[in-house]
Amino acid sequence: MTITQKLCLLAGASLIAFSTSAFADSTVRVTIAEYSKGTGPYFEEAAKAFEAANPDTKIQIEVVPWDNLQQKLTTDISAGANADLSIIGTRWLLDYVKEGIVAPLDEHIKPDFKARFIDTFLTPSVMDGKVYGLPIAASARAMYYNKDIFAKAGIDTPPATWADFKTDAEKIKKLGGETYGFGLQGKEIETDVYFYYGMWSNGGEIVKDGKSGLDSKAAIDTAKLYKSFIDEGLTQPGVTSYSREDVQNLFKQGKVATVITAPFLSNQIKAEAPNLKYGVAPIPAGPNGDKGTYGVTDSIVLFENSKNKEAAWKFLDFIFTTEQRTKFDKVEGFLPVNAEEAKDPYFADNADLKVFTSLLPNARFAPVIPGWEDIAQTTSNAIQKIYLGQGEPEATLKEAADKVNATLK
Amino acid sequence: MPRATAPYVLIFPSFLLASAIILWPLKEIVSLSLHDVNRFGMLRDFIGLEHFRVLFADPDFIAATWRTLLWTAAVVAGTLIISVPIALILNEDFYGRGIARILIMLPWAISLTMTAIVWRWALNGESGMLNSALRGLGLIDTNIQWLAQAATAFPMQIFIGILVSIPFTVTIFLGGLSSVPDDLYEAAATEGAGSWDQFRLITLPLLRPFINIAFVLNTIYVFNSFPIIWATTQGGPANSTDILVTYLYKTGFRVGKLGEAAAVSLIMFAILLVFTIIYVRLAMREAKA
Repeated sequence: MTITQKLCLLAGASLIAFSTSAFADSTVRVTIAEYSKGTGPYFEEAAKAFEAANPDTKIQIEVVPWDNLQQKLTTDISAGANADLSIIGTRWLLDYVKEGIVAPLDEHIKPDFKARFIDTFLTPSVMDGKVYGLPIAASARAMYYNKDIFAKAGIDTPPATWADFKTDAEKIKKLGGETYGFGLQGKEIETDVYFYYGMWSNGGEIVKDGKSGLDSKAAIDTAKLYKSFIDEGLTQPGVTSYSREDVQNLFKQGKVATVITAPFLSNQIKAEAPNLKYGVAPIPAGPNGDKGTYGVTDSIVLFENSKNKEAAWKFLDFIFTTEQRTKFDKVEGFLPVNAEEAKDPYFADNADLKVFTSLLPNARFAPVIPGWEDIAQTTSNAIQKIYLGQGEPEATLKEAADKVNATLK
Repeated sequence: MPRATAPYVLIFPSFLLASAIILWPLKEIVSLSLHDVNRFGMLRDFIGLEHFRVLFADPDFIAATWRTLLWTAAVVAGTLIISVPIALILNEDFYGRGIARILIMLPWAISLTMTAIVWRWALNGESGMLNSALRGLGLIDTNIQWLAQAATAFPMQIFIGILVSIPFTVTIFLGGLSSVPDDLYEAAATEGAGSWDQFRLITLPLLRPFINIAFVLNTIYVFNSFPIIWATTQGGPANSTDILVTYLYKTGFRVGKLGEAAAVSLIMFAILLVFTIIYVRLAMREAKA
């Protein structure tokens, strides 16, 4: 062995020694998804407050953009370099539980801790009777509508059914100009969900009895309905080039009269378009009165390979106190997951949020199935083809359903 | 040290380094592609070429492969054709040449992702700069939804690809042009050669090695280029603008099929290997000449 090689080895060894000391027992690493500009600062502040109360524990926050979160977790976990705690989409949780990557939290959860939560939001993170994650973020979807455009078109109330909605959209079209009734998302994340809104109203389900619901009558009717909105010029043109953010921007600019999205749009409107007069209403119902909204939670999970489960749990306990939750949900514009927190006047007296919380009894959460992202992609692709007129609704959905069924097996 | 073994001993350290950087990951990827792998990269059963079979049965993969070849050919050809005249102009002596050269080179300093995102905004159907410019000029009456369908999105992506490849290519050509001795042109002019003949018979042949290198390097870069397509359409709508890299990313990190993703990257590696061999051969031929 040459001297240089020896030196290299030595350097390597000291590096390993150094890194172990940097991540000594008392350090808890937390991977955080960046929901907004405020996410990082909020968690840094919470970590400081926690460290002040627990001087023997260090919290290390790693903020990752949402789009990169899956990729980072996949690479970190396969290399065994994952943090102790991480935020993940609850819809991914089953894959994590199946592989034994995340640890159940039941041994730590005391009844008074569990009592802090609103049940609806804790349930999605429960699998096989065990709690595998805590709902760090919760949201639902409702229809935002532009009151000025509605008034101009002579419409007094937001549409109760999809049939009403179509009549309204036709009235809005008659106003002329480049204003469209239905802001329809057709690109990127949640393109599939935007389709499910209509599908649920028509009485459909994403998965029923272990089979895809994409070839059901409800799904086909919805595809035809949405396509008729597109063909009759009742949506913004070129829907397949509009992501969720793009449609929200059109709404802020007053170019579309409605958009179906999450509570955080209220915060954005307040900051970016304070003069916009808007209301929030339930997603229109179907011909049989069926209704549905999408309930989403993200979970914070504890990894099975964490060497600091005790300290990590303490931090979890801390960020799920009413005080911390209130701070966080105000920053992000999410729904309160904590029952005490929901009584805070900020949430209790907020007209927009009231609509969202009133919809929760009808909320569908992503079904607990493996390969959610795979199914989402298949669904989005099929719907995009229909929107573009490259595929007949029935045949295209049938093909997609077969593909989804193969994934579900 | 015996003469015969000396070269091997001397090469050994760099070989070791190359193995660590190239061969080891390659071995890992090969093993991923031949096993059933869960979404966190843990190997399960050996399944042979199953992942490759699945890929070749996937029409989206086949379409993405052809599209990658089209994308690479179009961007590289477009870049070379546009860069030659730009380099010729910038090689002329004119007032403000320094500034003109800087302006051509400047976009190179900006990250590809940022350029692509700016274009995504510019191509927005309702509030994009491109539509408002075209409407302002009276060229169109209704907005064009550039990114809504592949028929308009993909040509735009190729156009962006060409724009961002020009600075690098022009730089190579300028280097090449500066090595062409002026007296050749003077001699040609005395013999009565017009400027087209000068270009055809002097400039182009002397520039050829540089065109070859620009061709191969651009091919490798463009073939692997992820940001432009990802930032503008993410390969959509309905996979209609996917190239192999975006297909790879979705398969690996969205859907979590790491085994199939490893197989895609091996196929890409094989295609690029062919390009690299061509490059090495060209480079060696130049070295001999």
